[in-house]
Amino acid sequence: MNDMQTDQEEFLRLIEENKRIIFKICNSYCYNKNDHDDLAQEIVCQLWKSCGKFDTEYKFSTWMYRIALNTAISFYRKEKKSAPTVPLTEHLLHVEDNDGGTGILEAKINSLHQFINELKALDRALMILYLEEKNYSEIAEILGITETNVATKISRIKEKLKQKFLTINY
Amino acid sequence: MKNIWKEYDRRIEESKILNMQSWALNIKTYEYLQTQKAKSGLNALSGFKKWMIFAGILFIAFLVLLIIKSLKFQNIYFIGSLSSIVIFNILAIIFYLRHIVLIHEIDNTESLVEVQEKIVKLQTSTLRITKILFLQTPFYSTFFWSRAMITGNPTAFFFIAVPVTLFFAALSIWLYRNINYHNAGKRWFRILFSSKEWTSIIKAVNFLKEIEEFKKEAV
Repeated sequence: MNDMQTDQEEFLRLIEENKRIIFKICNSYCYNKNDHDDLAQEIVCQLWKSCGKFDTEYKFSTWMYRIALNTAISFYRKEKKSAPTVPLTEHLLHVEDNDGGTGILEAKINSLHQFINELKALDRALMILYLEEKNYSEIAEILGITETNVATKISRIKEKLKQKFLTINY
Repeated sequence: MKNIWKEYDRRIEESKILNMQSWALNIKTYEYLQTQKAKSGLNALSGFKKWMIFAGILFIAFLVLLIIKSLKFQNIYFIGSLSSIVIFNILAIIFYLRHIVLIHEIDNTESLVEVQEKIVKLQTSTLRITKILFLQTPFYSTFFWSRAMITGNPTAFFFIAVPVTLFFAALSIWLYRNINYHNAGKRWFRILFSSKEWTSIIKAVNFLKEIEEFKKEAV
């Protein structure tokens, strides 16, 4: 087995491990399935092209989030059309209701998704990282702002989202 | 909210939807991606700028050839006008070269704020080149001037040719001073630029403001 094949296999393993993150980022920056698929391709492509630039000084997740979110924001700015026109459940892209009896939870997932999608591109990235349970220092490193700024912004956005949740009766 | 997000994550894991990315797990896809995707995005922008540089160099070479061929004192207006046009086009080429360097410096592994700021500044810099190129306009109305024209028909020269040049000079200076982000929403600006270009510039300007806002320390 040559080095190229080993690199590809290692890369595929990392993509396999992190595909849910890629999926969630795509869902947060795309309004329809075609764009979603295109963005997923673009992210994987950018990750592949940047493999050689991976600096072991950083955590793999920091490197991956930077590339995935940068690609998603650039894609979103290029493709951004009007507000989503598909029903939210469909927009949540293909997440099937497997258990049938969790309508409220389903609605809450949809609401959270909707609220996040209403945020500005960079605030959206910030919130995704927060919900992915990244610590403030890593979020600051990915975004390129200070930890204090991260903390203040998260607290403000959380408060805003909380207020939005309160307006909905489940 | 974190619990809802975890539930969302669990559902993604449970459902079979991630098969949609199965193509990504096919090694052959990368060969396709590397050839096809290279043509998209910033690479396409870089390609366009390279063509502009190529066309610019050809145009400058043509003008320089004309200047060399007309090196006589009686052609002073012609040589002066063409030389000025050459200077503005050289400046534009320098800016295009700088853009290509910037495009190649964009590295998605850097922080979001750094990368997005570079991309947006690159997009809005189109305005700078445009306004520099507008400055050459008056020289297109002076290259045919000559001593014979001034002495032979001074009325036509001072009442038609000179005012036309002055008008273009004033217009180009006004455009140079006014083509900027702040005026991007004004009607004359939208008329001047094609709608597609205008839309992308406005979007870029707005996003630049968004980035500045995001960088600001919240109080």
